[in-house]
Amino acid sequence: MISDVYQKLSRGLLSARQLPGIFYRSVFRGSYPNTVRQQLAAVVNNLVLHVHPTRAYSRSIKLQTTFGLGLICLYLFIIEWITGIFLMFYYEPSTGAAYGRILDLNYTIMFGRVMRNLHRWAAEAMVVAVALHMCRVFYTGAYKPPREFNWVLGVILLVMTLALSFTGYLLPWDQLSFWAVTVGTNIVSYAPVLGPKVRFVLLGGDSVGSDALLRFYTLHVIAIPAIASLMINYHIWRVIKDGGLAHPFEKRAGADEAAAQPTRADSVVPTFPQVVYAELLVFLVVMIVLMAASLLFNAPLEEEANPFRPNNPSKAPWYFLGLQELVGYSAFWGGVGVPTFLMLYLLALPYFDRIPRGVGVWFSRDRMIMISVWTLILLGILVTTALGIYFRGPNWNFYWPWENWPGPH
Amino acid sequence: MEKWLGALGLTLTVVLGWTLWDASVQEWQRYQGAYYHEAIRRAQKGAQKAWASNLRTEIKQLQLNGDTAVERCVTCHLGYDNPAFQSFIAPLRTHSAILKSHPVERFGCVVCHGGEGRSVTALEAHGEGEVAAKPLLRGKYMQAACYNCHREKTLPPQATASVVRGRQLVNRYMCLACHKINGEGGEEGPDLSTVGSQRSWTWIYAHTVRPQGVVAGSTMPVFPLKRDEIQAVTIYLTTLLDSRDRLRYLPLLAERVVRELPAEERLATLKSDDPEQLNIESQIAFGYDGKKLFHGVGCNICHTIDISGGEVGPALTYIGRKRNSENLSRLLKDPDEILPGGKMPQLYLNDLQVKALVRYLSERR
Repeated sequence: MISDVYQKLSRGLLSARQLPGIFYRSVFRGSYPNTVRQQLAAVVNNLVLHVHPTRAYSRSIKLQTTFGLGLICLYLFIIEWITGIFLMFYYEPSTGAAYGRILDLNYTIMFGRVMRNLHRWAAEAMVVAVALHMCRVFYTGAYKPPREFNWVLGVILLVMTLALSFTGYLLPWDQLSFWAVTVGTNIVSYAPVLGPKVRFVLLGGDSVGSDALLRFYTLHVIAIPAIASLMINYHIWRVIKDGGLAHPFEKRAGADEAAAQPTRADSVVPTFPQVVYAELLVFLVVMIVLMAASLLFNAPLEEEANPFRPNNPSKAPWYFLGLQELVGYSAFWGGVGVPTFLMLYLLALPYFDRIPRGVGVWFSRDRMIMISVWTLILLGILVTTALGIYFRGPNWNFYWPWENWPGPH
Repeated sequence: MEKWLGALGLTLTVVLGWTLWDASVQEWQRYQGAYYHEAIRRAQKGAQKAWASNLRTEIKQLQLNGDTAVERCVTCHLGYDNPAFQSFIAPLRTHSAILKSHPVERFGCVVCHGGEGRSVTALEAHGEGEVAAKPLLRGKYMQAACYNCHREKTLPPQATASVVRGRQLVNRYMCLACHKINGEGGEEGPDLSTVGSQRSWTWIYAHTVRPQGVVAGSTMPVFPLKRDEIQAVTIYLTTLLDSRDRLRYLPLLAERVVRELPAEERLATLKSDDPEQLNIESQIAFGYDGKKLFHGVGCNICHTIDISGGEVGPALTYIGRKRNSENLSRLLKDPDEILPGGKMPQLYLNDLQVKALVRYLSERR
């Protein structure tokens, strides 16, 4: 009897020692990969990793190829989700309570200040990162067939990023928020026929008030993030289906077969562990920079929104200041004409530039005209935005950045 | 590659540790600790000991106006209702007797003193840091706060003397020739009907002394006012609030609440040269940063250090060479003594603030 019990116990203890291994294999459906075959299988068998190919060109994971910009956009989006959910535990989308809640977050809630700063700086970084990512894809010609539709998805994601940033801007309900959104929605109303109607739908009324706050809150926390998440999934899935990151020596589907380079002139590495390591590296850099910035620099907060006292000058968020500068010259062309032209240009780009030359190469000589056009437009955007940020003072008059602004402001 | 990942992973762990440290170190814990330590040390009778044993280190707040207004001043200002702390240093000192008719539980603190009620750090709570609230009304400037609710007829004359004098001066110097106040006046300059809500009293003072030093290109003349007259004008202008600020300060209930500590809870009064008090003073005095106070209190509105600041008073970039610490300290405590006939205001700063500012200014060489 006793020896039976003892035997059962010792068998139980032995399997207790094997427990970590058993647990690991139950989660990952295989042992830690040691052979190449196991490494490829680890990628295919993993929920997160299987959006990658099992192997990748070593060129694709070099820093100077993409600077990890697409990854940075994804990581920032995830950081925004997590910090956003934390903030949602404490925020109330009511015009009477919102500002006080933000102050409470800053002063009394543990990690409140850091999470709020993280949310704000990751948002600003994301707008910059998606713009840089778009420029990288353009300059390496990575929108050409078969990647046209992925580019279109990217443009949609760009619009969603700006929409997320704009709707979030209102939520602190301080002077900056209130008047920036007033200016932004006024620009929307300059569109012919539909403009004023779209503005009414956005604000839930004729002016920025409690309806607008609730509407922007709903858009910001669930409506746009849910759609954006699906779009991001689609966007990443299309990368692998289109043959991975653009590469000069890839076989291009739909291109002239005779013109395709038959030999692979670049080495190939298994996704696990090289690509995973590269992605982890980018993640660590992003986290370290953002966390340090959040600990050191506070997100701005002016006094509580006062509908009877506008800021002078009232400026839209910085990524819309280029438009606001143009609106200063012409309400229609600045508010409607130029944005529509830019949108059409971006959406139509991969469908009228289909020549399969210079793909995967930075600033390829074959594409100099397209590159020049893009760079000119980019410079125009940068110049108008810089003008709006640094050179405009009260009443939208011109001031040098070192000049003092006159009067109360 | 693995080396890079290891190094960065270690850096991230350090940064996360920094986050934990940042969240756990709280300024107000030191003030509460000092108060509790002192109160427990002197607890002798049974009721005092029972009270002392229930003390917890926590954020304390008042909720007023049906929960819409929250004030956390009492987190640090703990001795306000304890008569034993009458000669203690700030922030633990007993509040003046006006609290009997204006109990904190009904009025809060911000309605009279100003500042940012929701904050728990000294600089921001006093309206002196990176915060939208205006700096505290101190000394005579508190008359502007009384004027929120009371008028001359319902208060003893000395409580609104400066407001009345300021209004008389505004009439005498015909400010309404260029400015509108409550619908009457000229349109050369901006409407002043709500200037008390738009500008801090330090800004209004500086601007009255020399408008061009604060607002570049201003065409407002410099009026030949003496120091106390500028103070009166400033106090009067600070009473001009917008409707949101006026409504915010409206107390809702009508009954009087009088609170006195029962005899057994009153501890023995501490003398100001008690070594225990000096020990606590050194613990509390850490919090003031002279550079931050220079901006927060409003010195930079009149004075320039390096390239930023106002041009109403002299630049202070090298003030440490001109004046020593003792001279600076006397100047800040009573400008009239060192600069008779000058325009520098009495700022009603407490000793810790003066010490911090003097330390910062004597290093400007």
